[in-house]
Amino acid sequence: MKKFIITFLLILFCSAILTFSLRGNVGNPTREQIGMSQWKDEGPFELSPERGRFALIYSIVEDKSLFFDTPIARFATPDLGYKNGKYVSLFAPGVSILLIPGYIIGKYLGAAQVGVFAIVSLFAILNVLFIRSIAIKLGANNIAATIASMIFLFATPAFPYAVTLYQHHISTFLILLCIFVLLKWKNLAALSIVWFLIAASVSIDYPNAILMIPIAVFASIRMFFVNKKDNFIKINFRLIGIVTFITIIFPLIFFLWFNNASYGNPFQLSGTIKSIKGIDEKGNPLSIEALKKQQGPLFEEQDINRKKTATGFFKSRNLINGFYTHFVSPDRGIVFYTPVILIGFIGMVIMYKKQKIMLVLIAIVFVNILLYSMWGDPWGGWAFGSRYLIPSYAILSIFIAFMITNFRKKLIILMGFYILLVYSISVNTLGAITSNKNPPKNEILALESISHVQEKYTYERNYDYLNSNRSKSFIFQTFVYKYLSAKSYYLIIVSVLVLTCGLLITYLHVKSKKENP
Amino acid sequence: MIKFNLKTLSIELNINSKIFEKILALFNKHALIIISTILSFVSIYFFYYYLNNRLGLAYNDARSHLDIGRRVVEGLKPGLAQLGSVWLPLPHLLMVPTIWNDFMWHSGLSGALESMIAFVITGVLIYSFLQKIGVGMFGRILGVLVFVLNLNVLYLQSIAMTEFLLIATMTAGVYELVIWSKDNKILSLIKSSFWIMLSSLVRYDGWFLFAFAAFLISLIIFKKHGYKTTEGMIILFCTLGGFGIFLWLFWNQLIFKDALYFAFGPFSARAQQIQMEQAGVLMTKGNILLSLKVYLYALIYNSNAFIALLGLFGAIVLWFDKNLKLEIRIASIALIAPLLFNILALYIGHSVLFIQGISGNTWFNVRYGIMMMPSIAIFVGFLVHKLKQLRWVIVGLFVFVTFFSFANKDAVTIDDAQVGSSQKNVTEVSSWLNKNTKDKKGFILISAASHDAIIFSSGLPMKRFIHEGTGLYWESATTSPDRWARWIVMRTYDNNDITYKAVSKTPGFKYYKLVDHYPFADIYELKEEFIGNLNTEPVSGKVKFYSPI
Repeated sequence: MKKFIITFLLILFCSAILTFSLRGNVGNPTREQIGMSQWKDEGPFELSPERGRFALIYSIVEDKSLFFDTPIARFATPDLGYKNGKYVSLFAPGVSILLIPGYIIGKYLGAAQVGVFAIVSLFAILNVLFIRSIAIKLGANNIAATIASMIFLFATPAFPYAVTLYQHHISTFLILLCIFVLLKWKNLAALSIVWFLIAASVSIDYPNAILMIPIAVFASIRMFFVNKKDNFIKINFRLIGIVTFITIIFPLIFFLWFNNASYGNPFQLSGTIKSIKGIDEKGNPLSIEALKKQQGPLFEEQDINRKKTATGFFKSRNLINGFYTHFVSPDRGIVFYTPVILIGFIGMVIMYKKQKIMLVLIAIVFVNILLYSMWGDPWGGWAFGSRYLIPSYAILSIFIAFMITNFRKKLIILMGFYILLVYSISVNTLGAITSNKNPPKNEILALESISHVQEKYTYERNYDYLNSNRSKSFIFQTFVYKYLSAKSYYLIIVSVLVLTCGLLITYLHVKSKKENP
Repeated sequence: MIKFNLKTLSIELNINSKIFEKILALFNKHALIIISTILSFVSIYFFYYYLNNRLGLAYNDARSHLDIGRRVVEGLKPGLAQLGSVWLPLPHLLMVPTIWNDFMWHSGLSGALESMIAFVITGVLIYSFLQKIGVGMFGRILGVLVFVLNLNVLYLQSIAMTEFLLIATMTAGVYELVIWSKDNKILSLIKSSFWIMLSSLVRYDGWFLFAFAAFLISLIIFKKHGYKTTEGMIILFCTLGGFGIFLWLFWNQLIFKDALYFAFGPFSARAQQIQMEQAGVLMTKGNILLSLKVYLYALIYNSNAFIALLGLFGAIVLWFDKNLKLEIRIASIALIAPLLFNILALYIGHSVLFIQGISGNTWFNVRYGIMMMPSIAIFVGFLVHKLKQLRWVIVGLFVFVTFFSFANKDAVTIDDAQVGSSQKNVTEVSSWLNKNTKDKKGFILISAASHDAIIFSSGLPMKRFIHEGTGLYWESATTSPDRWARWIVMRTYDNNDITYKAVSKTPGFKYYKLVDHYPFADIYELKEEFIGNLNTEPVSGKVKFYSPI
């Protein structure tokens, strides 16, 4: 009963915070309205990853088509594909498909876009629950696990991406679910579920195929049993394990069908389709010259002409820049956006010898970091913090649970940890209720030549946004703005989070003092 | 034995564990032969691969090295004097037995052969090094793989450059040094000094290693045995270890009448760097942070950032591992000698290195970053040995990043060779020479210091060229070109081209017509009416030694 109450309270708490932070506008935008600034740059669809995925939802639900008509195509630019004379999505379809129910329910309630974003928040809450569960299963203290799960959602860039339309929480959910299944069950049915989830994850985001490799390897090993007796090594391979692979058929069929229906080739990946950065008045793709004129200093010709291959997006030479970007750069670095998550590495060092599954967790973190450090755009375009590392934040949060568990009696360490936590929560809440639209530092000069003002590229940009009494929170824009300033709204949310975490840490510490030494 | 179990629907494999032990023991016994054989096949394959796609001779310096070797055996004034100054002689000396053969010369194999052998030796040394410091089979094999599965390593070992010969001799020197620190056998110290002496005849990095190793040796001995013994051992070490340096100073004194001609002469690196400093491109001089940054980038681009990071952790683990004797740990510090040398050389302005994005938009000498690769491989092997629980994770991640580097053909040394400042596409001028002079009599006057790449790429025999190292021929041709040179190849109006500098002032130059301007050089041809006065055959005479490099 106690467990159920705690879980329920955790869900309630997270739901409340996410509700107050969820971005959106009232209304069901039509295809003509969707391109207006209140929905785009000034609204919830501020960046193209959100627009591209929403465009596909809209087309499927409203037009019953995988192809975009001209207004929707225009809305989706610059992340728009063009194939066989039709405008298509450049994103893997899984996110859009999963969020269709949110669109339908939201539309019924008069807020289609909010309904879509709410489903992402739902996945974020599920991630919190899984992080907590996994940490407890692996031996962490319950309260420490709860704190750690909240750190993931509110003290990392997972927060700003839990209130908008990106793939990260769904990808993270699939990874955590696989780990949970492998921990909880050791039978072949568990393997079937894992293969299914791995195959499905590719439809959510293609690089998930790589992120899931450690899980796939670990699951495969489950099909083998090794015994040593006398001078013999007995290796037993369960043939029936092969049958478990049958579950990949369903997501695979969907994936191939979608590619075929959209691009005319079941094996064509969306990232390798010709991308269109703009559409002219007649509804045709803009020529390179017209684009140059339109974008000025921001135009990058090599992006258009570059031949795309699946592996070509990831270059080992990018690693040094990637490491710098993800860890210490002022525009995206973990050190600036979520320094508390670095504690997870300490937890990793404490725990790596304990159980085999720890190696899987460690491998996922490093595969994530390496993959997106090799990625040509480690900044994630215009973004808040290092969004590509959200799956790593989830895993590192599990390790934080162990770190807190180990040091729960050491007040000085807990205090230092709390300071980092307060800072991290403050920064990410700022992002969540304002905007994710922060340019990478290397685009600033081009930007300044257009705007003729100094452009900021850190969370200072969000702070300025807040100080101009703006917030993209649906609740704030619809109801609260009449009573509170954006800044006050922000301070209330931060205070609640900081106080709650503080109370939990205090309770953990006090309780630990009463334990047997 | 394989069994199919109907009850559990499984395949059972029963293996006698003694078989594994036997295989392991067999491998252990013959490890060096097995590794050498495998690496030899790898080496040959990649030489052939890069030769076929025309990258084997992309480096301008590779062509120069081959030409120097060739000039010792063939030309208007062949002889050891053609070894010249500035570039140390061992790589060219080692080419002498094979470079007389035109194929060995023009394919680059004469020079590549020593790189390939050095590559195999280095792989074996990495394995042996790790074995000597107690690393298990897993760590040893991984160390070798880290070294071998690197496109920059595979490329540089296939070409006629000096990096690999230097790497092999330095690694051998450090290996013997570590053995000496472990076993205290004087023979190992002598061997170490021998290999370091050889490295000092390959590149000046070896000179730094000599000094650094001497310092480490004195640290090790002084701690245990005091001053007197330290003095004796250092003298022993330096006598052989420093012999190469002594020989080189002696050579310069003998041939160029100046022991420091290699350092301060007109073709020295210093002379080049002064010009670069005046042009404002020697940014690392006097700037320690920039020197550190530039070299670290070169190191990282050559080895891969993740592997470099693993190497760093491995180094820290090794140096703080109390299970290893302190003497071994001190001796192993010599593994970072290339890092220290290169940063120092950049800082004092004796070296130039351009990293695209930091030093403008080009690459130059970025291959210097490969020097730390054996050390990194050793450190990674040691790390994996110590972190047994994480070994498969590390291996998996290593395979992961290596896959992408191979899939994208990410080799910064190839970029430098193809688009950086280390390349010179002299195809037009060399093709013209080949086509228009091959079947005609007459010499070509050209500065080897400036245009060795043209000499090489023309495919013509060395004896067709009058250059700085041809003694009287050069003196005569640069005073009366119309009597000696049917063609002149030079950069017009560029006083850095000593052919132009000399010939433009001579009265005979007006008898030449400009054939055309080409990238890197112009070609002049003696007018028809003056060909009758030309010497077209070699003549014997007094040799004056004046080799450019």
